[in-house]
Amino acid sequence: MVTAINTGDFKSKNSLIATYLIIGGLVIAVMMIFGILMLLAQGGVLDLPPAAFYQFLTIHGTGMIGGAALAASAVMWYFLSNYVELSKKVFKLNLILSLIGVVMVIIGVFSFKYASAWTFLYPLPALSGGAWGVTGALLYLVGMLILGVGFLLLYIDTGRAIIKKHGSLGKGLGWDVISGKRAEKDAPSPTVVASTMVTIVNVTALTAGATVLIMNIINVVNPAFTFDPLLAKNLTYAFGHIFANSIIYMGVIAVYEILPRYTNRPWKSNRPFLIAWTMSTAFTLVIYTHHMLMDSVMPKWMLIMGQVLSYANGLPVLVITAYGALMIVYKSGIKWDMASGLIFMSMFGWVVGVVPAIVDATIVVNHVMHNTKWVPGHFHMYMGLGAVVMIFGFIYYLSKVDSGLQTNGLDKIGFISYTLGIISVSVGFLISGAISTPRRWATHFPEWMAPAVFGAIGGVLAVLGLIIFIIHFIRYVKVRGISGSDINEQKLA
Amino acid sequence: MKQTGLGIILYGILVVPPVKAYLESIMLLHMLVQLPLLILAGWFIGDRLIKKFHPFFTAWNTDGVPGMIFVVFITMYWMLPRALDEAVTMYYIELFKFISLPLVGLFLKDSWKKMQTLGKGFIFLNYLSMFALMAWLYIDSPIQICNNYLETQQKFLGWGFLVITIWMILYLLQAVFTDHSEKAE
Ligand code: HEM
Ligand SMILES: [Cu+2]
Repeated sequence: MVTAINTGDFKSKNSLIATYLIIGGLVIAVMMIFGILMLLAQGGVLDLPPAAFYQFLTIHGTGMIGGAALAASAVMWYFLSNYVELSKKVFKLNLILSLIGVVMVIIGVFSFKYASAWTFLYPLPALSGGAWGVTGALLYLVGMLILGVGFLLLYIDTGRAIIKKHGSLGKGLGWDVISGKRAEKDAPSPTVVASTMVTIVNVTALTAGATVLIMNIINVVNPAFTFDPLLAKNLTYAFGHIFANSIIYMGVIAVYEILPRYTNRPWKSNRPFLIAWTMSTAFTLVIYTHHMLMDSVMPKWMLIMGQVLSYANGLPVLVITAYGALMIVYKSGIKWDMASGLIFMSMFGWVVGVVPAIVDATIVVNHVMHNTKWVPGHFHMYMGLGAVVMIFGFIYYLSKVDSGLQTNGLDKIGFISYTLGIISVSVGFLISGAISTPRRWATHFPEWMAPAVFGAIGGVLAVLGLIIFIIHFIRYVKVRGISGSDINEQKLA
Repeated sequence: MKQTGLGIILYGILVVPPVKAYLESIMLLHMLVQLPLLILAGWFIGDRLIKKFHPFFTAWNTDGVPGMIFVVFITMYWMLPRALDEAVTMYYIELFKFISLPLVGLFLKDSWKKMQTLGKGFIFLNYLSMFALMAWLYIDSPIQICNNYLETQQKFLGWGFLVITIWMILYLLQAVFTDHSEKAE
């Protein structure tokens, strides 16, 4: 299954992967601190000027999505490169472009007070009421564009490589197996299927994103050029929703690859699995319309479609993956350690996080819950306890197979602290939502403050846990090449 | 060489004053017919020139990237509304148009065959989003952008860009979803 890779190549591949993961992990940790500061401000504990709150909100949203996407793309690249021939140059270029983009975004937000939130909804970048100027907006928007270029190149490369190996993106999703033209045993591996899906949705998202970013840039430079705001919103959320969602679909590759190594049972793409992934590909592309449920000018059929499909969005893949994970672990005598534990936990976080999302995607409920903290409640659960935990699981996996570095009691404490922390953050948000606290409000009424403070305490626990994970990973980077093996993955089961 | 002749004839027709005047009288024809045809003329003539100046092209445009950057910058310039406007009113901009665009065709020809799938894919997607944006800009603009062309002309052009965008999307879809298994790259 594993293509021949010579030793030197392997070594430098892993060091590039490690760089991605360390940067991603550190960005996530720092952004969590901004998250805690926001909650403390909302909880009345910290006296933060509203302008600073919105700068924090902007950097937190952008940094979390960017950092997690970067780290998740490393997970995808690491495993996908075992099946198809990817370009390391492009992978490196993406990292460089991402860093340039991030620096521009940071300067825009902190030096020039740019604070439109990561959704940069038109015409806000140009119409700040004097809160920020043209420079800040341009730094942010161009920074995002550069980030997008890096990722776009990466996905063109994965698409190219998949087509070269499997013939077409349809075949990468296993359509010929679904239609019965090819036997199930010759189906593309789960990693290829997931990567194909991510390639399709993210090329779409990034192209839409580039269009809407350049549009905003034109509008910022010359406000005489105006655009249709409804179309702008559609494109913006098509970009934001899809790109943010793709993180979990890249992360889940870690589940498909790591659990089989721990249980010595293969994870095969069978027909239901392939159908589920094709369905989620299609749904992910169209259900961003659930962000438009309050826009009564949208065609009704689109909103109804958005609602119906939102129920179904991630569901096919989620069900097939959760079921698969249970089956592969069941009576397998799996050895639980940090990597397998985190991977299993991530499935739990994903499942639990989707439930409130589904509730919210109902138009009737959405009219009440829309723009309350219920929304961050559900996505913090499936991002914080789902997507990024897949990444952390991968970190422990990599350090184990690549260096043989042992974990200790501290790592276990990290695991517990992180899990409890994120659950508290999410529950805090959900309670706030249930008592109708609006999201994205810098200042709260006294009766809204308690859940925010509760969440902040949870946030501290989560950061402590994450710092322990990062320390472990830095230790790994230091010892790799000295102990353990660089060439062969050790047997885990 | 048949192609070279074709290119020269095409160029010749485009500079004939009545043809030029007619194409430039309608915004859509100006942007989406005259400009592409000038590029096409350069593309046709390109073969002979590339062969003749082979050392130059191999030395300066080894992997096709420098040539492509030239192409992108020049075509981006000609997508700006005011570029068209100025071409109609200022003779030296007009002159620039008749020189720069055939050069675009020339470099496009040389670069496209040298570039790898990754670069080509990136360029293609770039133009896809740029054309989509142009469609949006011209259809939506509440003001008259050019001195020489009316708002209705602008909208017309916008729909032209939209049609191109849709074709590009369809092309892309068939390219990635039809089977390339047999073809060894
Ligand atoms: C310690 C953990 C975290 C804390 C304390 C935290 C806190 C916050 C707070 C207070 C907000 C603003 C809520 C509001 O609208 O009033 C927020 C928004 C957000 N968070 Fe987090 N967060 C954490 C982890 C994460 C993670 C792991 C991710 C994703 C990988 C993430 C992604 C986001 C996004 C996308 C937003 C929306 C920003 C916006 O509305 O524009 N957060 N978070
Ligand atoms: Cu969404």
